Amino acid sequence: MRQEAIDLYTKLTNEWNKKPQNFDKCLEILTQLKIILSETGFIPALGAPIDKKEAHLARDVFEIGAQCSIAVGDIHAFERYFSQLKTFYFDFQNEISESPYKYQLIGLNLLCLLARNRLSEFHTELELLNPHLIQTNIYIRHPVSLEQYLMEGSYNKVFLSKGNVPSPSYNYFMDILIRTIREEIASCMEAAYKKILFSEAGNMLYFKKQEELVEFAKERKWTLASDNYFYFQQKQTDHDNQNIPANDLVMQMIEYARELEIIV
Amino acid sequence: MKVDEKKPETTTVPSKDSKETKEVKETKDADTLTFDDIKENVKSIEKGIQQKENRFLIRVMRTIFSTRKRLNDQVLKRVLNYYYITQSVQNDKEFLMSFIDVNAPSTQSTVAPMETDDAVPKSEPVTQVATPVQSVTTTTTTATKTKSPAILLPEVDLYIHLLVLIFAIDRQKNKQAIDLAEKMMEKITSQNRRTLDFIAARCYFFYTRIYEIAGKLDQIRYFLHSRLRTAVLRNDYEGTAVLINCLLRSYLEFNLYDQATKLVSKVTFPTQASNNEWARYLFYYGRIKAMQLEYTEAHKHLIQALRKAPQHEAVGFKQIVQKFAIVVELLLGEIPDKAVFRNPQLKKALQPYFQLTQAVRAGNLARFNQVLEKFGEKFMKEDTWTLIIRLRHNVIKTGVKMISLSYSKISLDNIAQKLQLDSAVDAEFIVAKAIRDGVIEAHIDHEGGFVQTKDLTDVYSTLDPMKVFHQRIKFCLELRNQSVKAMRFPPKKYSEELETAEERRAREEEEMEYAKEMADEDDEGFP
Repeated sequence: MRQEAIDLYTKLTNEWNKKPQNFDKCLEILTQLKIILSETGFIPALGAPIDKKEAHLARDVFEIGAQCSIAVGDIHAFERYFSQLKTFYFDFQNEISESPYKYQLIGLNLLCLLARNRLSEFHTELELLNPHLIQTNIYIRHPVSLEQYLMEGSYNKVFLSKGNVPSPSYNYFMDILIRTIREEIASCMEAAYKKILFSEAGNMLYFKKQEELVEFAKERKWTLASDNYFYFQQKQTDHDNQNIPANDLVMQMIEYARELEIIV
Repeated sequence: MKVDEKKPETTTVPSKDSKETKEVKETKDADTLTFDDIKENVKSIEKGIQQKENRFLIRVMRTIFSTRKRLNDQVLKRVLNYYYITQSVQNDKEFLMSFIDVNAPSTQSTVAPMETDDAVPKSEPVTQVATPVQSVTTTTTTATKTKSPAILLPEVDLYIHLLVLIFAIDRQKNKQAIDLAEKMMEKITSQNRRTLDFIAARCYFFYTRIYEIAGKLDQIRYFLHSRLRTAVLRNDYEGTAVLINCLLRSYLEFNLYDQATKLVSKVTFPTQASNNEWARYLFYYGRIKAMQLEYTEAHKHLIQALRKAPQHEAVGFKQIVQKFAIVVELLLGEIPDKAVFRNPQLKKALQPYFQLTQAVRAGNLARFNQVLEKFGEKFMKEDTWTLIIRLRHNVIKTGVKMISLSYSKISLDNIAQKLQLDSAVDAEFIVAKAIRDGVIEAHIDHEGGFVQTKDLTDVYSTLDPMKVFHQRIKFCLELRNQSVKAMRFPPKKYSEELETAEERRAREEEEMEYAKEMADEDDEGFP
């Protein structure tokens, strides 16, 4: 059983290190490996001593699995691999040596959470890391500063940071992130500008081609006037002041009455 | 009782050795008093078991903190000699004795050996201050035989174990203390007595504490979980409360917020739990919520934790809760009350947070960074750092707001300069976001590169005042409901104290008479 796993593992690493990688082949080997690993109980039970060799092997397999699933764009598979990797990264950090990919994958996971707008999980994961590390490690600092830019609204910095990702595997999530950001910027533009020139809008949204902007404008129902300007209608905030929110008011009053009843 | 083991930063620790340095007589008397107190406690434990009334046990547990301060080698030696008499418990006695320095500098050399020799306890009537040593020993020998406890109840056994454990923790005998704690847990696990619950709950707490001191908090989670299951099944609410808190503490110690959230969502915290346990739980819960960006919820829980904490004790606990509460309040975009920072108990500990608040209030990014730099290490140690860096965008928001208030038209370049942003492009995006989020009322002219603020709308023409008013009313009502819930009555008191009709009549008559007298007196005031 063990030998079989090792054989497959070497096969997998060979396949993975080939350029260009054959992902289908990798995934196929991974599936076989996962079956073997789960049969041998790759995660040591409580109190049982950890077989270092086995643990290393399992971890490496999962790391390749995680990177491979990003390459083929399977986010769910990535999340599954990462949740298994967390055991090796955090719970066994004193038992086995640190993986060279550790922080890269943690950073990827952070970016993944950020791209999917799961902020509370993002912060939960971040808490597991040492504050000094957050500031110094390039893999971690990248998603962390991205989050800060997003919160502040410095969207242009997000676009800039697309250019200096610490690892090519980050690009996949960066693309997702940029799509969500475009939506954000567009809604900001609608609120903040009265009108904007077609080319300027393209710059702000970081579209390289005009067609993309035309497409995007169509989706957001922006109309291009004859003078090449987009005109945004100022949202009428006044009208909801006009009518009294009767329902809410009644609910509030009933609530007060009930509470007062209890007190008296 | 103490709420948290965190030591307050300001209070000076009273010197423990002061007792030793005192006069001979005084030492003896202090010891005797402590010893008698412990005996008294054991009695009420026994009484509680007989009457199946948890109140007595709770009361004993409440005295632990005051007893803790007074424990010393001599007292414990006498306690052990007094209670561990029968052959069957000699092993325990020897084990516990190993924690005590039998030859501790004692002023009672004349009394102590005698007691050890024949395992004779001290007599009940407390020997007065002036009693000469000789007479003490004589009364001892006469009064003992009738009073020596025949069987050692498991509750009493555990209580004494607990005292020794606390003593060992205070004397920093960590390695041995862990052995002792393990032994206690064995004893607890082997018993199934409801009367043991309250003592066991305290034992869990100190068990966790000693592992925390030893830095092995992560090793006992499995055990705590299994005890928690048992406690819930047995409806042992005090045990459940303490165990949940121990587990949360253990998770938060290692920043395992994910697991902590799951635990919180799976368990129901027993409503009957003591206020102190509630305070702890609310604090942990507030911290978890703050981490998940649910600041309103977090703030509510932290404030409640503060309210439930003991009024005069537990300064350390209150300090740390207040720190979190301040940061969360800032994250909510509110400015904490200045009175908080003036509180003499908290003033010194909150100093960095005061400066932080000032920076946020002014919307001054440079100052904010200065504070971060200066106190960064401190914030990291207090686990508030990750929350504080999230404040950065609050600072910017306030800055943008300030600018929009003071200028009706300003160029983006100037904004970038004022907010210390890298470029005007940054400023443009930030201002755009602020407009969208409703922080300011303005619009940007892209070609001109400036921001034009709109005229301020009259706030009172909008619904905002009503919303704010509603929020405050809700807060007050919540506060009242919580206070009502916090009131406690002894379980059976309710039916007991109903007075009969006659009694009531008598009382009313009395009151009437009293009122009349009062009225008369009042009249006398006017000639």
